Amino acid sequence: MKSCIVEQPRTACAIGGFYTALAIPGIVPVLHCGPGCVSQSAALLASANGAQNAHPFNEHIIPCTDFGEADVVFGGGERLRKNIENVARSYKADMILAINGCSAEIVGDDNEEVARGFSGGDIPVLAVEAAGFRGNNLYGHSQVLKAILNHVEPTGKAVGGQVNVWGVAPFYDTFWAGTLEKIGEALTEAGLAPNIIYGRNGGLDKVKAVPSAEFNLLLGPWVDLDIVRLLKERFGTPYFHYPAIPVGPTETARFLRELGEFAGLDRNRVETRAKEGEERYYHYIRRSLLWVYRCRALPKRYYINSGASTALSLHRYLVNDMGLIPCKIFLPEDVPEEHQERVEGYFRDVELDSPYDVVFTGDGGLAAQEIAASGRPKWSLFYFGSVWDEPLSNNERIPFLSVSAPQGNVMAMDKTYFGYDGALRLYSDYYEQVASKGLRTS
Amino acid sequence: MALNLSTPEVESREQRLGSITGYFGTQKDMAAKGCAGCLGNRKRCFTTSSSCAHTHALSLLGPIEGALVVDHAPTGCGAGIINFSIGRIYAKEKGLGHYKIVSTDLREQDTVFGATDKLRATIRAAYERHKPEIIFVTTSCVSSIIGDDVWSVVQEMREELPVPVGFAAVEGIKSKIWASGFDAYCHAVSDAILTEPRKKTDSVNYIAFNEFGRELLDPLIERLGYKVVYLTGNSTMEDYRAASQSALSFGQCGAQSSYLAGALEQKFGVKYFQSHLPFGGIGFERFYRDIAKFLGKEDVAETVIAEERAKYGPELARLREVLAGKTALIALGASYAYEYSRILRELGITPKHAVAYHYDPRLDNQSDDLVAAAADALELDDDIDTTVNDAQELETYLLVKREKPDLILSRAHGASAWGALCGVPAVEGRISLHIFGYPGLVALGRVIEEELANRNFVRKLGAVFRSPFTEEFERRDPHSFFEDEGDGAIG
Repeated sequence: MKSCIVEQPRTACAIGGFYTALAIPGIVPVLHCGPGCVSQSAALLASANGAQNAHPFNEHIIPCTDFGEADVVFGGGERLRKNIENVARSYKADMILAINGCSAEIVGDDNEEVARGFSGGDIPVLAVEAAGFRGNNLYGHSQVLKAILNHVEPTGKAVGGQVNVWGVAPFYDTFWAGTLEKIGEALTEAGLAPNIIYGRNGGLDKVKAVPSAEFNLLLGPWVDLDIVRLLKERFGTPYFHYPAIPVGPTETARFLRELGEFAGLDRNRVETRAKEGEERYYHYIRRSLLWVYRCRALPKRYYINSGASTALSLHRYLVNDMGLIPCKIFLPEDVPEEHQERVEGYFRDVELDSPYDVVFTGDGGLAAQEIAASGRPKWSLFYFGSVWDEPLSNNERIPFLSVSAPQGNVMAMDKTYFGYDGALRLYSDYYEQVASKGLRTS
Repeated sequence: MALNLSTPEVESREQRLGSITGYFGTQKDMAAKGCAGCLGNRKRCFTTSSSCAHTHALSLLGPIEGALVVDHAPTGCGAGIINFSIGRIYAKEKGLGHYKIVSTDLREQDTVFGATDKLRATIRAAYERHKPEIIFVTTSCVSSIIGDDVWSVVQEMREELPVPVGFAAVEGIKSKIWASGFDAYCHAVSDAILTEPRKKTDSVNYIAFNEFGRELLDPLIERLGYKVVYLTGNSTMEDYRAASQSALSFGQCGAQSSYLAGALEQKFGVKYFQSHLPFGGIGFERFYRDIAKFLGKEDVAETVIAEERAKYGPELARLREVLAGKTALIALGASYAYEYSRILRELGITPKHAVAYHYDPRLDNQSDDLVAAAADALELDDDIDTTVNDAQELETYLLVKREKPDLILSRAHGASAWGALCGVPAVEGRISLHIFGYPGLVALGRVIEEELANRNFVRKLGAVFRSPFTEEFERRDPHSFFEDEGDGAIG
């Protein structure tokens, strides 16, 4: 039996996939699960993760059968059907997802049959299985996306320059909204036509346009790899996989160049953009140096304890642009085994030849155990984690940033660490922590 | 009615107290039916997400100092606890860390083969990692449906480990009322920590989420010659062990405090006062006279009450003048919905409608004392239009639009945000000692006064509101979700 401690969860359960539905305006999830399941995911993925809530259908009006003991005995399918009927009459919905949680799955309530009962109606109703014992919210995210994309019909022809963006898990990636907006702007600047299904400008029309893309862009180490493969299979759309959401001048330039090569973009335009971004970035960095190098011991080593996508983006920036060295990287995300080797490889692909471990785990509490026992002077470290890690940072005075779900009392709003400008946010967040928690030398 | 304290599993509120989550009518009608034992629960044809007993047991077992919870569940069933644990780490004065909650991480194969071995291994490993002073084992929907015999494992572990092991059977499917999770915490604590009194002490128990605002309560209890034992978040095992020595108990509300106070009364004769909660001026006076009489200190009580009236009277009169004619909609728990109805009237505000997340027609004390809402209806002739819904915010949203109150007074379950979205100022319905007595009443009045003094944020937010619902829905009666005619079968 493998390690049997799982504490300080950094992921919610599969039912949390409903956030992927809520991130697409017009889609309403109807949950067939216990009365508290929504609030469990809502805490970890939204309210305690960047002070987020869904809108316009917020967490407190998500239709839910509030599965109870009677449903175990008699089945709850009929109540699910009634709830869907009411949603169709009451919510401005373009699509409804009937999502099964743990209890409904164990007792065998057939949400597919319930969904089929609505076929031919004005609003499509799709069934999604998202039992918490089958996986975490990233499994749920995949289940929701697959259901939606399997429902989409081919459009017949590609629209020039259209690129769909994948890899960012809404809500779970605390900065998803700001990041996707900025990725969209960057792609537009590069001469492409981004199609992003989530967020303020997303919606079912964007979903329906997915098959007409020239290519799919996957930004991230493993999440949504199954999705771009599915889209290739269903619609023949090729995909460009860049493993990290780029943060900082090194990664952003590399991303732009590789994207340019894949998409056949104008090379001068790409280089001009990279040069402009770099100049602006270093302008502000230079303006901070007197303060940064003013009588303080600067940490050189870091630990990360976060989701894989966030960890990889940070890690590449910290190594390549900030000149830091990792101690150890913990990924308490239950990365599926089939992806682990690939993901580890992405972490090694940096401008540094130094040994460090990448740990795949489901135990959020593992990192704190090791850091506390590491024996390194705490001022020489920087710790990236979630609000679960904050007490260790406070008690030991380790400079610390909450970067991953659940981030705690952080307001995400439109914040992002993406690109050149985002790196300036991260750089400043980092040194504000060093200044307030680190070792002063005078 | 006696509590079944000797069984491993706690009975749900529906079974034990006849508590309900579906009602529409008036406070007086509901109180009368509740007292007569004929209050039916109305079911809805359409429901939205609520909250579960499981979460609310973890949220109270977790903060007991030195405690560790082993949650026999998929990891997601403990994901929500971060919302509660955050409160503790940002309350820096005690320097406490997060709650220690370890999950057995139930997976699909466990639903087929069972997972009691995994539970044993997790309890052992969790003990080794954290060396807690006490372990609580909790059940979940999944562990319950697959039929894992968790109680047997708990009994084994009591033999094996050098610390007490408590048990809370608290699967979310068992009760529609999330307060049943408070009961599971109380049952577990009662079984695993409470002990026979070594002696009687001059103390009273206060049972609540936290001890915030104790500076208001402590001096007035000291005037009676007693001190307060706080059975709240961050209380220690020692605090709980001292509880049986106290003269009496009272709590923040019937939902959270009833079962533990009832258990203390049943097991050790610690009198439970629950009809008059000490909130606002009227509430305080009735409560203070009740306990002073019990403690033989009636003369002190009259002196203190006169002092409090004199101290806060002028400011209260000023606030009444400022707030006269304002209207409010309340959305709070089973006790506070009606506590605030009374308290707002003390401030000159007219409460138009009270939404209660559930209603208990009786509580766990040994006597026939009325629950607070019924006491107010009977003794003060208080009445208000009321809805009982388990945070069914669609109903509350429609009520906000129908009633158009000057403010909404709520907390925690989403109603405040719907108020704000619709342009209605939202005031946090602070619970527990924040609204203790006259100082709490005056503090609340000032908060409301200031909130109403600049409504620009919600006014402009309301001006850009676009309903995400259909016209058909917008025309619906807030109480059209009930699928029966009311007064159906009890429970």
